[in-house]
Amino acid sequence: MLSEEEIIKTIYGAMEEINDQLSGENKLVLSHETVLYGLNSRLDSLGLVNLIVEVEQRFQDEHGLEIDLTDEKALSQKSSPFRTVKTLSGYISSLSDNTGKSA
Amino acid sequence: MHTDFLKKEFEKYSDITALIFGETSYSYKSLLENINFRKENLSQNYGIGSGTTAALEGDFSFNSISIFLALAELGCITVPLNYGNRKNRNELLEISKPEIVISVNENDQVDITNNDDYNRHELIEILRKRKHPGLILFSSGTSGKPKAAVHDFTGLLKKFETKREAYITLNFLLFDHWGGLNTLFHTLSNGGTVVTVSERTPDYICSLIERHRVELLPSSPTFLNLLLISEAYKRHDLSSLKIISYGTEPMSESTLKSLNKIFAGVKFRQTYGLIEVGVLRTRSKEDGSLWLKLGGEGFDVRVSENVLEIKSDSAILGYLNYPAPFTSDGYFITGDYAETDGEYYRIIGRKSDLINIGGEKVFPAEIENVIRDIENVAEVQVYGEKNPITGNIICANVSLIRPEDKVKFRSRLKKFCRERLQEFKIPTKINIVESINVSERFKKKHIQN
Repeated sequence: MLSEEEIIKTIYGAMEEINDQLSGENKLVLSHETVLYGLNSRLDSLGLVNLIVEVEQRFQDEHGLEIDLTDEKALSQKSSPFRTVKTLSGYISSLSDNTGKSA
Repeated sequence: MHTDFLKKEFEKYSDITALIFGETSYSYKSLLENINFRKENLSQNYGIGSGTTAALEGDFSFNSISIFLALAELGCITVPLNYGNRKNRNELLEISKPEIVISVNENDQVDITNNDDYNRHELIEILRKRKHPGLILFSSGTSGKPKAAVHDFTGLLKKFETKREAYITLNFLLFDHWGGLNTLFHTLSNGGTVVTVSERTPDYICSLIERHRVELLPSSPTFLNLLLISEAYKRHDLSSLKIISYGTEPMSESTLKSLNKIFAGVKFRQTYGLIEVGVLRTRSKEDGSLWLKLGGEGFDVRVSENVLEIKSDSAILGYLNYPAPFTSDGYFITGDYAETDGEYYRIIGRKSDLINIGGEKVFPAEIENVIRDIENVAEVQVYGEKNPITGNIICANVSLIRPEDKVKFRSRLKKFCRERLQEFKIPTKINIVESINVSERFKKKHIQN
């Protein structure tokens, strides 16, 4: 099971990578409240997909955790996991808990 | 009868070496004798004659080539298969239903079995009525069953009546495809020497080139890339090479550039052939260019909705197991996307390989060309993967020359691509893999989504 701190750190790593691709005013601020996708978000759909896959690959590489953030479960959550950094971290935490339990 | 023009040539070349198989060289004279011997044997002992359907399993060898020519002369309908193809041999025999199966093993020993099957397919009956030899070739479709393409062999053989230059040629391409057979007929009809191949690794191929002073190497872009990565060219004297031809899949500009640098003085010639229409004559716009003129006598080429269409005298009669692949005015729909510039064409890729990302379309080859230029990249394969947000995402499998930190490499790759490609063409998912899958035809294997 991963701590919130570890999860956030990995998400920030992915955001920094994505920031490399974004122009100055569109860069994502590394904070819990940063909006990833929704009102006032700075990512377009392609940017979001890039971020999601970057996050997935980093969890695989850094923690050996295989997660699918665009499966039916992720896309049918009552509130989108991609609203903010915090909601994404919470969603990944629930996934890693479940993986831990089933293992 | 159908191969008289060839036999006349063989008589002329007499003592010249026609074929090198393993340690043995065979002259045109001995090849001609063996063809006659095989012909007698097949017709007298096995009742094979005009209209018999015969599968011939083998690789290029003295006996397989002799039997192939004997079958054509007898007016048989031949189904060439690769010896040792255990994967779908039965499926191919099931589709083509040959009356007789002739196997020539790696030691050139011949084994003949009679089948109870008798093939009465309407296309076979057309050939029987014409009393023409036929050829059934399988097109390795990207999906579904292999397509059995039926040729009137006399149409394919006709072009070899025109004399061209002959070379000592490595028969690299396989026995069961027109590419390999085209090389064989071209070489033999012009008095060249065919060097047969038992193993298709870069070092072995280079050792054969050195040993037999090979002048012409027909190959595929994937093999040429392997040749570059292996650096086998550094371990052998390849100074005899005059021409390297390549076809079967799109060539990357970066590979062609490296090849031109390493093999200075060697001409690189792009070929374009399809099982359904045969091999077209091509002429590159300039050395090192991927633009080419296509066609020549007996071919008519056009592009319709970006897809190349070809009308040809030597086109197939049809498929045994699929509907005829022609337009109403007789053009074969190739499925290859092509750009045009005046009378020049540039083949971009298979229509079926096109990736659609949120409505924007891109060919894997365009992205692969860029990635291949990145330092430490050995080989790359780009493909699309379904994604609920953008329809598809672009994925790249990359093999590296030296180990490198995954995260750093991915970042480096994206940065490199950003400076050279539109945003939607930059791979979203990058997998570092041990090696890229290559098929037995030295083409990259398809990744199914």
